[in-house]
Amino acid sequence: MGMLRVISKRGDERLHWNEQDALTGDAEALAAIREAERIFARERARGATAFRVEPGKPVERLEQFDPQTSQIIMVPRVAGG
Amino acid sequence: MTVETLTYIVGAIIATLSLVLFGWLTVDSFLKWLEPRRRAGKLLRAVLTLEQYRQLMRRGYVDIPSPRDPQCIYRVPQAPGLVGVIEQGRRKASLCLQPLEQVPDADLVVIHKLMIEADEETYLQTANSFARICDGD
Repeated sequence: MGMLRVISKRGDERLHWNEQDALTGDAEALAAIREAERIFARERARGATAFRVEPGKPVERLEQFDPQTSQIIMVPRVAGG
Repeated sequence: MTVETLTYIVGAIIATLSLVLFGWLTVDSFLKWLEPRRRAGKLLRAVLTLEQYRQLMRRGYVDIPSPRDPQCIYRVPQAPGLVGVIEQGRRKASLCLQPLEQVPDADLVVIHKLMIEADEETYLQTANSFARICDGD
């Protein structure tokens, strides 16, 4: 299972997908991945930064959407205060 | 039934309905305020290690080790505020970095942790740094 979490004023909004089902051509799983990819692109265009956060692995910046990532966290644009 | 009695009954109904509406609006606003914070708290718990989470709950800050310098840690406060740069036990500078969009306090801690661990260089370039003049810590 993959999960996209987008941090916003409403807390984090989540979207799940099943990569295994998508590989078998499941329409619902493919639609969920497309939706996650669309949200990823939209947030990136707004200046958000994406991170790959997986158990037992160092956190990494993610420049492109990767449906094989188990958890992607997107944080809104930041600036020096 | 007299006109006076009818007036009392209508008044009581209006007062009761007003109270119910006020209560409903209060509960609704509270839930709308609470839900983002609850979600942010869950994300924070998922992102921090158990040790980091305990430190945050007990001390009100969490220490994130610098990936590039083993002598350096970033002290991220639980409440919005400056992030301390601690080197060899002393606060050397304070950093200010914030999202352009308002987010729950717990999400601020998540943002600092992810940025420091994944892209410390950009984090340091983006944050405003205030060097410490007095070495009181």
